[in-house]
Amino acid sequence: MTRSRHLRAVGLAAAISLGLAACGSGSDGAADASVEPADSGEVTWWGWTPDTPVAERYIAEFNKEYPDIEVTYRNFENVDFRTTLTPALDSGEGPDVFDLSAAGGSPDTWGGYAVDLEPLAQEELGDDWESSFAGGYVDQLRDSEGRLVSLPLGGMSAGFLWYNQDLFDQAGAEVPTDYDSWVEACGKIAAIGKTCLAMGAGGADTFPSELYHAIANSVDPEFFIEAATGQAKWDDPQGVEVLQIIRDMRDDGIIAANALDAPQYPLANEEFMRGDAAMVQMGFWYTQYAGAESCKASMEAAGVSDPTCFVQVPTPMPDVAGEGNGSQYFGEVDYGLAINADSPNIAAAKTFVSWMTMSEAGQQNVANALDLLPALQGVAPDWSGISLVADDVQRPAIEELLAESTETTQSRQWQTTETTLDAMVLAIQQVLDPSSDRPIEEIAAEMQAAAEPSSVGVDG
Amino acid sequence: MVTTTVPVTVGPARPRRGGAPGGHRGRGAHLVPGGLRWILPGFVLSVGLIYYSIGYSGYLSFFDWGGGRRAMTPVGADNYVEAFSDPVFWTAIRNTAVFFVAVFAVQVVGGVLFAAAMHSKIYLANLYKVIIVIPVVVAPATLAPAHIQVWQTDGTLNRILDAVGLDVLVQGWLGQSTTSLLVITVVGCWGSVGFGFILFYAGMAQIDPEILEAARIDGGGNLRILYSIVLPSLRPTTFSLAILNFITALKLFDTVWLITQGGPAHSSEFLGTMIYSEVAASSRNLGYASALSMILLVVAVVTSVLIQRRSRERTPVEATVARV
Repeated sequence: MTRSRHLRAVGLAAAISLGLAACGSGSDGAADASVEPADSGEVTWWGWTPDTPVAERYIAEFNKEYPDIEVTYRNFENVDFRTTLTPALDSGEGPDVFDLSAAGGSPDTWGGYAVDLEPLAQEELGDDWESSFAGGYVDQLRDSEGRLVSLPLGGMSAGFLWYNQDLFDQAGAEVPTDYDSWVEACGKIAAIGKTCLAMGAGGADTFPSELYHAIANSVDPEFFIEAATGQAKWDDPQGVEVLQIIRDMRDDGIIAANALDAPQYPLANEEFMRGDAAMVQMGFWYTQYAGAESCKASMEAAGVSDPTCFVQVPTPMPDVAGEGNGSQYFGEVDYGLAINADSPNIAAAKTFVSWMTMSEAGQQNVANALDLLPALQGVAPDWSGISLVADDVQRPAIEELLAESTETTQSRQWQTTETTLDAMVLAIQQVLDPSSDRPIEEIAAEMQAAAEPSSVGVDG
Repeated sequence: MVTTTVPVTVGPARPRRGGAPGGHRGRGAHLVPGGLRWILPGFVLSVGLIYYSIGYSGYLSFFDWGGGRRAMTPVGADNYVEAFSDPVFWTAIRNTAVFFVAVFAVQVVGGVLFAAAMHSKIYLANLYKVIIVIPVVVAPATLAPAHIQVWQTDGTLNRILDAVGLDVLVQGWLGQSTTSLLVITVVGCWGSVGFGFILFYAGMAQIDPEILEAARIDGGGNLRILYSIVLPSLRPTTFSLAILNFITALKLFDTVWLITQGGPAHSSEFLGTMIYSEVAASSRNLGYASALSMILLVVAVVTSVLIQRRSRERTPVEATVARV
């Protein structure tokens, strides 16, 4: 090989190495994390929630105060978000701001990419800044080293049902309060050719764990968190009873026969929004679809052309265990906004995140969207600007839901490992599988063997 | 017997730069093949991306790693031990074997029959060709909603069964652990017959018409000709299809994920869906996913080699002689 060929080969290798090095570097051009917030600039925001129209409303309100900061939102499906975000952050092509939840160890998974936002919160809200947020939200968004990797935008609660008032009226059914009245209502709803409880427990999604959690709270309000944190076992009598109730619900026609056909989204969501199902188990985020306009969009998304909105109302989970425990809701911070430590736009991103999470105007915006429980204490929806389908029926129920959701002290998934949630879904699928006759005790024992206790939020 | 020789392609002689043809060449020239510059881009791409990725996956398979900036903890061969002791892994292997055998059998039988029929004089042959090939060219993501519509509890199949009085067979095909794999396999068969047809149709076109004519003169009927002349001639195609089908079954992901996500209760799990679940879940386990990927790679390569060797062993002596 001639000298020039050697040089060319070395040059090519060097170019490839530099190229690969550039691909692997994510910190080129990153701003200083301690930079002061700015009044101008550009911000890209990635998230799996909120829906794009809601995000656009947030951004429009933000721009009334900060017209020189251009915010671009990109919405992903849940799984797509996770698989897209990490390589994007690693390659330096990540967003300036991204959603970061408390569930499944997310603060540790992505906290390494995020700016510690505690100094910003302290600067904005003072030394007593933590008490400005709803209980537990800040702790849930810290990583295992104690860094505050995202600032809470809002919270959520679950453990209750939504029902279609129009279908109940048409069937002449009463909203159920216990197991027997639920079976009776389902009989009447089936008689008019509708599904009673839309449920999607198929696939790998962990959504069915919400039904388990709600039933467990009816059996024994302490059991779920105790089992999730290793202080009780999933195959204890309470755990066996929960699974038995789920099987009974299938056999007695409460849970639809198609429950294992697909996950909750899209199956149950679309069935309910099409008006084909009388009830569905969804969390606080479903409140947004009670709106006179947003309900149309959600029905259209479910395949209804020229929709006429029905009246959807939240109601407590019936006391299925008959123990008189009622229905205890569970909830936690839904997600916070994190700032990419490698972002070249940290200054503008700080302004945006501060306004969204810590300003009254930003949080009022969140409250009025009826998508999240506002993270900032003392902020509530301004009903004068919110139009519901049937204000007289829905508003009292939603206000009660808001009050009870704010009071809940039981976490939803923060203290439950992903492994445990997977084991729970597997158990539910086996219980609901009509072709399987495995004993409940055996399924519960297998769930216990596969579960992994969480140490999150456990004293000592 | 016709004897041919394998032609050796010789390009036109070109004057070499920096030396007379046939003259003494430097040591470097022996080490650098003349075509290197032409294959270099592809070589860099292939080695740099594909083989680097395989090597990196192998490296990752010895770590417990959640991805990104999380700490990588060396775990030795634990990920492999975990895989081999995981019942879901063996369910996936069993499902892969069932899928491969069923789809391959249907593809060969269906493909040969359709190809033979299309080589006959048949009315509207071109229309049938289009119909049989359409499932091959349409993306699984496009077809999945239609398949779900067919197989779901209130779907087309159950309605048909109900309408024809077979309501005893109505069931939740997608939501039962006893039927979910059947759905995936039937969908796989449906999509594979067209590909088998394309290859067998082309293979049949290569058969010398004089041989077929001679067979007919000797009194061979259609079935006899198909069995004694056509099928032996298609053996290389069949072995190629076996390898392709096996690799497809090993890598199967899109159809399964879109229709059942491997459920319910892992009953329709495949290696591809297992790997994706490990990568896409909140608690990402890239080390375990990499170990599964490496197992998949080894099984694919070993099986392909075995099938190829088997193919050579079965090649007729006459054909080998004919190629010498």
